[in-house]
Amino acid sequence: MRESTIMKIHYGTAIAAVALVAVHVLMRVTQGFAESLEYESVLANYRFVPYAIMLELILILLSVHGFNGLRVILLELRQGRLYEKSVSYGCMAAMVGLIAYGSRTIILTNMGLT
Amino acid sequence: MARDGRKGIGGMADPRRYGIERVAYWLMRLSGLGLLAYFVAHIYETSNILRGRVGWDEILHMTQTTEGHIVLALVIGMCVFHTVNGIRVMLGHGGVGVGRPARPDYPYNPASQNYRHKIGIYSAIILAAVAMMYGLAVMFGE
Repeated sequence: MRESTIMKIHYGTAIAAVALVAVHVLMRVTQGFAESLEYESVLANYRFVPYAIMLELILILLSVHGFNGLRVILLELRQGRLYEKSVSYGCMAAMVGLIAYGSRTIILTNMGLT
Repeated sequence: MARDGRKGIGGMADPRRYGIERVAYWLMRLSGLGLLAYFVAHIYETSNILRGRVGWDEILHMTQTTEGHIVLALVIGMCVFHTVNGIRVMLGHGGVGVGRPARPDYPYNPASQNYRHKIGIYSAIILAAVAMMYGLAVMFGE
């Protein structure tokens, strides 16, 4: 993929993530910080399907943005065909792994398998 | 590595003599790495909900401490700086606020490193500090 396209994805994921994370943080603040972290409250959040979908979107957006950012930082430090390929595929693998791990939490909790 | 007069990564990393833009460059990268580390830790932390009430309460007991709140305040600061400075960088890449092309005259001040972007960087730092204070008030105010 062209670097210009990757940077557009990087900026797009950033803007979308800012909007959704703002909602996520406001949920914590408006409910009362400590109360919103209680087991029942967190469970209710995960079982509310629109909120679970929002969490999944945040997970995907931040994983893509975060690991692409890490890739960019690592490519600034050193260059070379093998190094660049290793960094790109390594970041891609880490991103997929994190999305899979986070999705497992969201899906299992939403289905009541806790 | 200092070879053939080149300063290498050390030269790139040196924040001195290059103004607030170089400081913003480093803060952007450091806050990005910090936020990625927090994000991975947060995904692991929240996965403890699958262990039921006992598992969740255990992890809350570990994270809802004075040290945990201070770390969270730093995360809030990094998040706000990264967001505001990121918007500045995006606007700059889009050509907003970088000035008009002009003939390079002595002392060759780069048109893109103008007061608008400097204000953007200082605003990001100030907003991050304010958000950290608000976060600390919310977390310790209960």
